[in-house]
Amino acid sequence: MVNTDYRISDIMTCAIANMLRDGETVFHGVSSHLPMVAMMLAKSLHAPDLVHLNIPGGVNPGSIHKSSYSSAGSDLLASAESYFPLEQVFDLSMRGKLDVAFLGGIQFDIDGNINASVIGDYHKPKVRLPGGAGSAVLIPTAKKAIIWRTKHDKRTFVENVDFVTTRGNLWRIVTPLCVFEFRNGKLHLESIHPNSSLDEVRENTGFELLYDEIKYTEPPSKQELTMLKKIDPHDYRSIEF
Amino acid sequence: MKKVVSLKEAIGIINDGDMVSFGGNVLHRAPMAAVREIARQHKRNLRIVKTAGAQDVDLLCAMDCVQSVDAGFISYETKYGLAAHYRKGVQEGRIKGNEHACYTVICALRGAAMNVPFMPVKGLNAGDLLLKNDYFVVVEDPFGGEPVTLVKSLMPDVAVIHVQECDIKGNSIIHGPKFEDILISRAAKKVIVTTEQIVPESKTRLNAERVDIPGFLVNAVVHVPNGAAPAACYRKYEVDDQSLSAFIAMKTKEEIQEYLKGYETKDYVGERMAGRIW
Repeated sequence: MVNTDYRISDIMTCAIANMLRDGETVFHGVSSHLPMVAMMLAKSLHAPDLVHLNIPGGVNPGSIHKSSYSSAGSDLLASAESYFPLEQVFDLSMRGKLDVAFLGGIQFDIDGNINASVIGDYHKPKVRLPGGAGSAVLIPTAKKAIIWRTKHDKRTFVENVDFVTTRGNLWRIVTPLCVFEFRNGKLHLESIHPNSSLDEVRENTGFELLYDEIKYTEPPSKQELTMLKKIDPHDYRSIEF
Repeated sequence: MKKVVSLKEAIGIINDGDMVSFGGNVLHRAPMAAVREIARQHKRNLRIVKTAGAQDVDLLCAMDCVQSVDAGFISYETKYGLAAHYRKGVQEGRIKGNEHACYTVICALRGAAMNVPFMPVKGLNAGDLLLKNDYFVVVEDPFGGEPVTLVKSLMPDVAVIHVQECDIKGNSIIHGPKFEDILISRAAKKVIVTTEQIVPESKTRLNAERVDIPGFLVNAVVHVPNGAAPAACYRKYEVDDQSLSAFIAMKTKEEIQEYLKGYETKDYVGERMAGRIW
């Protein structure tokens, strides 16, 4: 049965929001609308003292309504409480004071290696990807790195990545089908989204699924969906779908 | 020396083979009029440095102006997709894609600003970026701590930065996010500023502590209203969706040449205004 109350983007946004704790310092970068909305959601509900950091340097933006085409725009500073630019966010992470960083990637393997660089040879790639942006220094230094990816298939979750852009303090990977948790050096299936199944996750994952028990991701609550309408009325969280 | 010059004269400062760093970030306050002029003047073998670039890098890659790109991220944002010309150039081996973490570009520029050959960088301690790139080296800490990664400094020959306000001496004020522009202006040997407005010196004097780039660091000032378009410029204009989408759909150099021609009047309009006032 298809639940029409919420969509996959809502499940992912709420799942991510629920990973964030009150008072944490949290950073998102460019092309990162979904985690940006998730941070606003967490801050509006259970984590009012979460510290929202971003590339333009707007600490705790009051609104993300104007972030239509960019999650690194001036609007995030225009409604912020103070200015803390990117290079200082990096320095903060190096000092061990960044709690959570949101990063992307194209390929992931069971050992927690992340590829955001190339498919094929690094010097003469078959596909040159945009690059890891902050990943290579933030994933090793942020306390918890959360990756989101709106594709979940065997080209994304592979036996071995083509290139190791980085690895380190990877904590979770959130996909349209499930949440993986990285612990004891391996990716484990943490929870399956209510719209998916163990079979579907298995069919679309290129490595063996490790799990202790089958758990399902909490579906978005009424309160969360109502708040999402308010903080993200233009549905930026679905921009990647 | 008169610093306020035409766009053509200012870009004339850049030589083939130069290392050039652009201000702004992805779709925001990139010095696009200057980038278009670089393409019109057929500069060659430029070595581009930027934490995160988009149309600036992509356009120059399309027009064969680029030898290498040192960056953490080259792409438009989600809505506009990937930087096709940059990708193609790297995939065909015409352009060297030197991938950094954005932070290692920042550290490499900090090294240049301090005139030291390299900078220690925390964080980059695993993975293939270390193995495949000669600008990262892991060394023993001479003071006895953990091994340290060094990044080779990147000292741009020229920084090109677009600002909202600048006076005739080059004193520049950036409104909104400054991104890495202040650092770039200190790291580069020469600085070209393009500006939305040339403001009276009396105005910058009243706000001396608000000046982000002091004029004595600036070699050329060009009056270019809308000089970041089709990128956004805080408090002036948003992204020009039509122009950006049109560019992204372009495949050939001929189409892009037409695109550049279409901007000529707009890119040179400020010179006439500046000539009248100053």
